[in-house]
Amino acid sequence: MKTLPHELWEPVIGLEIHVQLNTKSKLFSSAANRFGDEPNTNISVVCTGQPGALPILNKEAVRKAVQFGLSIGSKISLVSKFDRKSYFYPDCPRNFQITQFERPIVVGGTVTAFVEGTPKIFHVNRAHLEDDAGMLKHFTTFAGVDFNRAGAPLIEIVSEPCIHSAKEASAYAAAVRAIMLYLDASDGNMEEGSLRMDVNISVRPQGSTELRPRIEIKNMNSFSFLEAAIESETKRQIALYSKEPHRPPEEIIIPGTYRWDPEKKETTLMRRKESADDYRYFPEPDLVPVVLNQNYIDEIRSSLPELPQDRYNRYLEQLELTPYSASLLINDKPLCDYFEETLKIYPNARQLCNWITVEFTGRLKERGQTLLSIGILPAHVAKLLAMIDSQLITGRIAKQVADDMVASPGLDPEIIVKKNPDYLPVTDTSEIEPIVDEVLAANPQSILDYKAGREKAFAFLVGQVMKLTRGKASPAIVNELILKKIKSTNP
Amino acid sequence: MTHTPLHHFSAAQLRDSFVKGEFTAVSIAEYFLKRIEQHNQQLGAFLSILGPRMLLKAEALDRKRAHNKPLGRLAGVPVAIKDNMHIAEEITSCGSKFLNNYRAPFEATAVRLLEEEDALITGKTNLDEFAMGSSNEHSAYFNAHNPWDLSCTPGGSSGGSAAAVAARLSLIATGSDTGGSIRQPAGFCGVVGYKPTYGRVSRYGLVAFGSSLDQIGPFATRVEDIALAMESIGRHCPFDSTSLDFPPESYHLQANLKNIKIGIPRHFLENLKPEAKIHFEDNLQILRSLGASTIDIDLDILKYSIAVYYILATAEASTNLARFDGIRYGMRAKDAKTLDEIYELSRKEGFGREVKKRIMLGTYVLSAGYQDAFYKKAQKVRTLIIEAFDKAFAICDAVAMPVAPSSAFPLKSISDPLEMYLQDIFTIPANLAGLPAISVPSGFDSRQMPLGLQLIGPQMCDVPLVQYAHAFEQATQFTRKIPPLFDGLNS
Repeated sequence: MKTLPHELWEPVIGLEIHVQLNTKSKLFSSAANRFGDEPNTNISVVCTGQPGALPILNKEAVRKAVQFGLSIGSKISLVSKFDRKSYFYPDCPRNFQITQFERPIVVGGTVTAFVEGTPKIFHVNRAHLEDDAGMLKHFTTFAGVDFNRAGAPLIEIVSEPCIHSAKEASAYAAAVRAIMLYLDASDGNMEEGSLRMDVNISVRPQGSTELRPRIEIKNMNSFSFLEAAIESETKRQIALYSKEPHRPPEEIIIPGTYRWDPEKKETTLMRRKESADDYRYFPEPDLVPVVLNQNYIDEIRSSLPELPQDRYNRYLEQLELTPYSASLLINDKPLCDYFEETLKIYPNARQLCNWITVEFTGRLKERGQTLLSIGILPAHVAKLLAMIDSQLITGRIAKQVADDMVASPGLDPEIIVKKNPDYLPVTDTSEIEPIVDEVLAANPQSILDYKAGREKAFAFLVGQVMKLTRGKASPAIVNELILKKIKSTNP
Repeated sequence: MTHTPLHHFSAAQLRDSFVKGEFTAVSIAEYFLKRIEQHNQQLGAFLSILGPRMLLKAEALDRKRAHNKPLGRLAGVPVAIKDNMHIAEEITSCGSKFLNNYRAPFEATAVRLLEEEDALITGKTNLDEFAMGSSNEHSAYFNAHNPWDLSCTPGGSSGGSAAAVAARLSLIATGSDTGGSIRQPAGFCGVVGYKPTYGRVSRYGLVAFGSSLDQIGPFATRVEDIALAMESIGRHCPFDSTSLDFPPESYHLQANLKNIKIGIPRHFLENLKPEAKIHFEDNLQILRSLGASTIDIDLDILKYSIAVYYILATAEASTNLARFDGIRYGMRAKDAKTLDEIYELSRKEGFGREVKKRIMLGTYVLSAGYQDAFYKKAQKVRTLIIEAFDKAFAICDAVAMPVAPSSAFPLKSISDPLEMYLQDIFTIPANLAGLPAISVPSGFDSRQMPLGLQLIGPQMCDVPLVQYAHAFEQATQFTRKIPPLFDGLNS
């Protein structure tokens, strides 16, 4: 085979997403499922693997798994069961994990994600419940284990190998995260590790249907790392194939487990697959099968909250947002809820969406903040926009007011405007009139165009006046003056 | 009554006498503690004696009685606990060096229930390490001996419990039965031993060997005391998922077997040695004389029991014992310098030969490439065994078999492991099928060693099964015999 240019290769990606469920207690014990406490305080005899301790399945976790399954149109297994997965590691208190290997609770399903604004359907193979491991802490002369996380409930969502780019992967993962947040099934806190991703990745020539040897990149907890890891790994594999185009793929890519090194910006090998991966799965004898009945499933189905996809459709159909704007909002549950909250008092959805997702988000992003985190009230955003609509301030001034709101969160925009004389529009006609005259005199063609029915020409004239007044002229007065003057000029 | 030495009492009689005020609990405690002190050296039945604890409890009971407060079912009855069940704050060694310093952080449900019924807990009894063995020779500490002949084994793995009850150092003891570990030592020591339906007694706080087979049950000198113990510990427990969710049962014992059909798997019993065969036939004659009829049933499949058992039990054990890793509790090898050395050396030094052998066997049968041939096939045969029993119980009320192929053998006389495993040929089937099974003394052989009759019932039929054993006991009275070494004038 001859060497293919980079763009003629296609990555084939499957994602395993581990989402920590936000149940009150752990998956198999009554210990609190809480992050951030003193080490080894939220533990029980079950989470530290004491002899004689037995697991008891948390019903709330089962319910959340079923909710997720129903949200993505999966088949919910009426009978599922748990298996032991054996491996020795100090963070694993029994030296086996309790997971669902043979019969997962959620089978199949699809997730719609927005890849740079365009919806795409991704297929889920399965989702199953399992317990999390503890955390190792390394000190100078020893290591310790914090078992607070040990036994935390995880749902592992395994996609089909249907993802073909880094952007698709992060879009899909973000969509899964959004569903979890809408269900209130997880806090989705990436920094705290509430959502961690393993990537299985291989590459193949575009158009081919073969599956080449794949490697696994484990345990990423940020979408940007995920994208960077996939980009880097894709390049690495393509480069290796390109170097030896005649060698069989099996000899070039050796299956193994890698991790993403964000400093070196490359994937590094942890271990080869063949030597390590005998987990000796077998049914967990300390737990009985999970048997669900149809009524239980129907009851959960009928009580599902509005999901990202439903909201997206509603935004398009009822609020007439653009698909792109809607997709920006829905994946960010807290922001989207903020939007909903503000919408109740400020009904112009498109304007609101633009201000929330573009103006404010843009201003806050560099500070690493959001409207919620910085404490800008929905009522204040609504007020700001209402001031624009009532032409109390101009759009340009509004942007300055927004700067001030970000700089001193909690301040009422009305007060900001009142206290700053520069922000008040010039309403004195005598001040504006000469400028209008000046603009009209300089643009006779625009006047003709407007009279011929071109609305844009009018907007241009208004814009020119605003420019000369540095945005301070009251748009209402400018409109009025221009209109009056055009009418009074002879054709 | 007061002329009868206390160790001749049944548990029920002793309880009644205490409640009536014929003895104080403290005098009972002192009496049995003295017996234990006197005899344990030669018998090796106890790994630890909980004298001070027992006396405190006895004082509390005397106060309770003085204040006319209600007294439990086992008030004033000395009860020994097999040392693989947790008494909170006390050492649970499991007969292993690995756990010689392990203090239980919680109380086993069975122990808690016994405490609640006001039993006087005497101590922790000897066992084969982690309950793996049929002779008690695998205790990491010292041998327990057979009270009828100290050169013989008391059986295993609950040999200490059987010896303690046979020698009347306690009137009741708990055992755990994974493949016969209650019934075989009961048979060898001439006491009653009962393995309830799987799930009848909570396994919470029992250090697991084979979780799907393990079941706690009592030893006693009388069947009526077995009933008393079962009324105390046979309760649903929310900390064990496999615990049966049924109300506790009361046992009304009657002494006849009218209209009861006893199934005899004659073909399976074909290879019994002549003496054992004759003895068994005599037992059947007694059952018939009580009104039972006997019928032939086909349980030929039970010849695979041992193979199936040594695959399933070791598979489960290999993972159950994985938690003993030297990280959190128990043995940690002093010379270990790396993580792998902590694992390897701690387990090497902490576990005995038999335990290591079974862990290796269990690891092997679960390994990739071998699961289908061993673990999965064994599971299928287990299902066939369950079905064979179902079929048998369609036409009979209980199955009768010997407890073991012979009476107690001399210590160190069996060195071939397969021959040792054959000890369990008649007891393992009830564990594989989760059935209740009882071992009741049925006479003595030519060496004057006790023999036992085993009755196996359908699942959940604990009460009727204990009744049948009671009828047999009432007709035979073998349970009244006390080993002469422990019933002398000074004893």
